[in-house]
Amino acid sequence: MRKKLMSLLLTGVLATSLLTGCGSTDDNTAEGTAATTESKQETVDLANTEVSEETAEITYANFNASGGNEETLQKMYDAFHEEYPNITVNIETIGYDDYFTQMQTRVAGGTAPDCYELNIENFAAYANKGVLAELTGIDTSGYNTTALNAFSVDGKQYGVPGNFSNVVLIYNKDLFDKAGIAYPTDDWTWDDAMEACEKISALGDDIYGIYQPITFNEFFKVAAQYGGGVLNEDKTEFTINSEENLKAATMMISKVTETNVQPTEAQMGGMGDWDLFESGRLGMIPTGIWAFNTFADACDFNWDICVEPGGTQKATHFFSNALVVNADSDKKEAAATWINWLASSDTAAQMRIDAGWDLPAINNEDVLSGYLKLTPPENRQAVFDSLNYLTVAPIIEDYSLMSDIITNKLSLAASGEITVKEALDQAQEECTAQIKLQ
Amino acid sequence: MSKKRQKRALKNAIPFMLPSFLGMIVFSFLPIIISIAISFTNWNGLDKLSYKTLASNFVFLDNYKQILGTSEFWKVLGHTCYYIVLYIPMVLIMSLLIASILNKNMKGITVFRIMYYIPVLTSWVAASLIWKWVLSPQYGILNQLLGYIGISGPGWLTDKVWAMPAIVLASVWKDMGFYGLFLLSGLKAIDTGYYEAAIVDGAGKMKQFFSITLPLLSPSMFFCIIMALINAFQLFPQVQIMTEGGPNGATQVMVERIYTYGFKYFKMGYASAYSWLLFVIIFILTLIQMKLQNKWVHYES
Amino acid sequence: MNHSKWNVKLKIIWNYFLACLIAIIVMIPFLWMLSTSLKSKGALMQIPIEWIPQNPTLDSYRMVFSRFPFLRAILNSFFITCSYTVVTILSASMAAFAFTKIQFPYGDTVFKLYLASMMIPTQVTMIPLFVIMNNLGLINTYPSVILPSLFRAFAVFMLVQQMRGIPNDYIEAAELDGAGLFRIYRTVVLPLSGSAIATLTITTFMESWNDYLWPLLMLNDKNRMTLTLALNSLNGQYGTEYNILMAGSLLSMIPIVVIYALAQKYFKEGLMAGGVKG
Repeated sequence: MRKKLMSLLLTGVLATSLLTGCGSTDDNTAEGTAATTESKQETVDLANTEVSEETAEITYANFNASGGNEETLQKMYDAFHEEYPNITVNIETIGYDDYFTQMQTRVAGGTAPDCYELNIENFAAYANKGVLAELTGIDTSGYNTTALNAFSVDGKQYGVPGNFSNVVLIYNKDLFDKAGIAYPTDDWTWDDAMEACEKISALGDDIYGIYQPITFNEFFKVAAQYGGGVLNEDKTEFTINSEENLKAATMMISKVTETNVQPTEAQMGGMGDWDLFESGRLGMIPTGIWAFNTFADACDFNWDICVEPGGTQKATHFFSNALVVNADSDKKEAAATWINWLASSDTAAQMRIDAGWDLPAINNEDVLSGYLKLTPPENRQAVFDSLNYLTVAPIIEDYSLMSDIITNKLSLAASGEITVKEALDQAQEECTAQIKLQ
Repeated sequence: MSKKRQKRALKNAIPFMLPSFLGMIVFSFLPIIISIAISFTNWNGLDKLSYKTLASNFVFLDNYKQILGTSEFWKVLGHTCYYIVLYIPMVLIMSLLIASILNKNMKGITVFRIMYYIPVLTSWVAASLIWKWVLSPQYGILNQLLGYIGISGPGWLTDKVWAMPAIVLASVWKDMGFYGLFLLSGLKAIDTGYYEAAIVDGAGKMKQFFSITLPLLSPSMFFCIIMALINAFQLFPQVQIMTEGGPNGATQVMVERIYTYGFKYFKMGYASAYSWLLFVIIFILTLIQMKLQNKWVHYES
Repeated sequence: MNHSKWNVKLKIIWNYFLACLIAIIVMIPFLWMLSTSLKSKGALMQIPIEWIPQNPTLDSYRMVFSRFPFLRAILNSFFITCSYTVVTILSASMAAFAFTKIQFPYGDTVFKLYLASMMIPTQVTMIPLFVIMNNLGLINTYPSVILPSLFRAFAVFMLVQQMRGIPNDYIEAAELDGAGLFRIYRTVVLPLSGSAIATLTITTFMESWNDYLWPLLMLNDKNRMTLTLALNSLNGQYGTEYNILMAGSLLSMIPIVVIYALAQKYFKEGLMAGGVKG
């Protein structure tokens, strides 16, 4: 017995010493739990360090280049290094699936890279937990303002938009021809779309009008199209079960439960929505512009795009990944220089477009115009027209939890187990109970 | 045993135990101790892990109280048990079948032995993709086969009731080769002398199986049951890839929740408390198995 | 007489039928992977499944080789996996020997601790272990992925179950011959556990070969990248190139299948070792 106690004690001592050993290497993060910490070390001021003589070697981790764009990123870096020969960047490209698990471990373990990429869901959590450095003094004039603002929390810029994708309505021209109806236009509302959906669905048993995922991501956008939203203006209260939201959710879900112009989960049979479109059995799909390359390869029918239909007003999605600087890094200036260059320099933007990777989140129309020349789709202009109606995701600290609760309730409604109204009421109740808003 | 002999035995054992024991302290025991400490805090899993961080987030038993107070915990535990009740008998029967086929002296048996191991070698990413197709309600092979015998198959992964059995099917398919191989090595280790003696005594096949094979295989069976139990409670990758806990949470299981809380909702303290509750459950069940093994597991020595 | 001959034949046919039936069930996904890896990008997901690609192409395999330093990754994987497997087998078999054949005090308690260590999901011990590795200065070194093999409760448990079946008479006989414990371990217990060790070798090899998350955390340097890490970079935010992934996965399965086929010999030897002593 005594031996057991001794060994337990011993390991306890060992454990504490290992942990404190780690804590003492860096003190300022242990307290920096709140995002509001205004420690000088945690901000990056590029204004007075523009010309730095010292050489710096930094690490940059990203997932955006995985799956085919590693070479492009390398080329971008080569161009950067020519411009800033004193900054060396070690690029780590990691697959998307486990990127965030490994990043969280490295951040918690105190060995996060100097700068890295985050998606919008994780950005909110990281920024609110004070592990990101505030970026001050960087030149942000070249960015698309909506995208840039998405990464500012309480007026502080914690990241720059590294890339940019928005959502458009992609439609199968051949199916529209077969059904003998006119192609969708930019001023369509959901009512117009529903009419077309029913005619296309009538073409065959396994042909469907549209597929729009029943998820939180779609919901907050459609809500905006009907003038609603999941949070009130100053993000202090949930407004999930508002009148406008009910209209929006009803539109989304009745497509499945009532008119069945959108397949149910069982009708999908484990097939992905893109697969369904590629197989030529789907009339319309509101999806990201990153589908273009895949559809160009895979579809043996004609297709084109237009701005997504609206409700009482237009609203479109955009997705952007944040490039951020580690609050713990001792080379913050170099890191900020690199990510700012990568995200907004004309050189990098041009390379991104030429490779057909995705859009840079910049406002330089000359560079962007190169994007229009690529076909299909014919009507690439719709990508830019959609930018006029961008709606920003309701970013809060517990974004993933909110998103899961709402998605879960909506899918319950889509499976017919509860009504749409019940779904929104329950979501409102659970979100209010489980999530503290500032 | 005398004190002296005990001392000598300990001295003898130390060189054999040392590498493994050291490894256990550093790579397993320490992290586990730290995870207990984490379970008493509301650490978010992002702030740098240090003594100071943990101390300043100390909440003692709050996480445990919270978890046990939610209906979610019991629901998820129920799902896990549902999985186990279906999975363990099925995987044991299938692996016994495989082991007994592979133990026959047939020509080309080596080829079969290699083939049966292929699911074990396949990654879950590839395996779950194909299982999604096999289980597809409208186009899947399984429902087509069921259709031939006049049964209209369920929606499997998209159906609340059938999603878990579907995951069990995929898991049995993936794991049976592994346990089968282990049972085979148990079968191979059985002294053929016993069978020869039994045949001389005029014992039939059935009698041989129950009086020789099963008792002598019991240590291997015991291993399989314990490992299957531990692994079943920690069921995760197949759920994550095939259903992500859906439809409507019908396949949410313990480790899926632990991962979600720890790495998606940034509640590492809560996630750690969850896994300690999981630990207690598995540990008790394993202890019961250990006690029961005296009744049915037969060790030769 | 004739009747029983027929019986034997029928039995053989039945055995083969059963064996083939199971073989088909287990091989389906493998064949699907093969067929997918031969498809061009567009033809990937179709209904009904297109088993034989219309325009088979080896492009995916070419891509696997051109996309990343495949050879380098294979060498790294081999080095790590082999070391990992050898250390596991040595350390686990020694511990299992001590647990079963040396009745040392508190042995049972320690063994229960070993078992208990498997019951905590790695998801919650990952960050602590990462911090420990960091404090030991092991991050970005090969030992960080090899050393954890010193302690694998699963392996110890498996060998303990096997070694318990070895009659103590053998040990006592060897002791009377004047053999020391190490010699007994090496010349009596190890050979008699042959088939279990063969099983363990292939399992360990496979696990280490396919291990992904831990190497991802530990090895950031591209030069130390393993094959699984290389393959992982195929999955992107907006989807995965399954044809290349399947080609890569198939290629990465080859070494394991080869090792497994080689280990077959030892399954037979395990049988003989058991048989001789009857």
